[in-house]
Amino acid sequence: MKKKILIFPFITFLFILIVFFYLLVIERDPSELPSVLIDKKIPTFEAESLLNKKKFISKNEFGNETTLVNFFATWCGPCRDEHVYLKRLSNEKGLKIIGVNYKDDSNKTVEWLKELGNPYSDVIVDSKGLIGIDWGVYGIPETYIVNSKGIIKYRLVGSITKKNYNAFYSKIKKSED
Amino acid sequence: MTKTLLTIVIISIMILFFSKISYSVEPEEFLQNPKQEIRARDISKNIRCLVCQNQSIDDSSAPLAKDLRALIRMKVQENNSDEEIYKFLTDRYGDFILLKPPFKINTFLLWSLPFIFLIIGIFILFVHNKKSKKIS
Repeated sequence: MKKKILIFPFITFLFILIVFFYLLVIERDPSELPSVLIDKKIPTFEAESLLNKKKFISKNEFGNETTLVNFFATWCGPCRDEHVYLKRLSNEKGLKIIGVNYKDDSNKTVEWLKELGNPYSDVIVDSKGLIGIDWGVYGIPETYIVNSKGIIKYRLVGSITKKNYNAFYSKIKKSED
Repeated sequence: MTKTLLTIVIISIMILFFSKISYSVEPEEFLQNPKQEIRARDISKNIRCLVCQNQSIDDSSAPLAKDLRALIRMKVQENNSDEEIYKFLTDRYGDFILLKPPFKINTFLLWSLPFIFLIIGIFILFVHNKKSKKIS
């Protein structure tokens, strides 16, 4: 009787061991945080546009087609890496990409877009990072998928890469379901 | 001689341990009104830096932490209540931004398990004690 009870701590220990081992083995980044804005309406904001002279008013810009909101800066290395994938996505029909130029020098950004090409339908200036805070941004690049109803469906923290491109693309397609 | 040396060592160790850990708040960030500054500091201490995750934004020198400190100070100056400021931040970054998780349905186990284990422990001790008394 007494010996049977002794097996319980052992099983608990084994269980904990298996759980920890599982968490260690699966592909997961513990520093990556889920966004609380998923399935919520986009934050409303007005901001300066880098390329157009008129003001960017979020109400007029979202809610017609699937939109990607990409937070980027010229000082951010991974942003440069993902640029080619953004350009590939900009050729998609029914998909619009809005760039948010996060805490950056506008002149440098204009140069950067000239050099690498412009995948964005519009680039918003967020010089103080306040738009970033409204979207819950904590480390750029970050890309949000907003569906045609203006609902945020997904957030990718980090750059779009060769490895995650297909998964990200299917998330865009699924965002309208 | 050794006595004075020992005193010096002890005093320096005490200074090392009791001195406040250096903060990352830069002088130009301070608010003019000391009451508001203290409030902003108190709030900042409860807000997690999302870049370095185990530091508060008061300790962290990450750019995002600086932005959030400035934002909190702006909201303090606008006479927002503490609750309003916390809500503003959790609406955008989730409860994770609070260093102390709030008591909610999904954090029920987190908060209550230590007490449940304590009760179980006391119960086991009690039963065990009774048994050993009987044997003796």
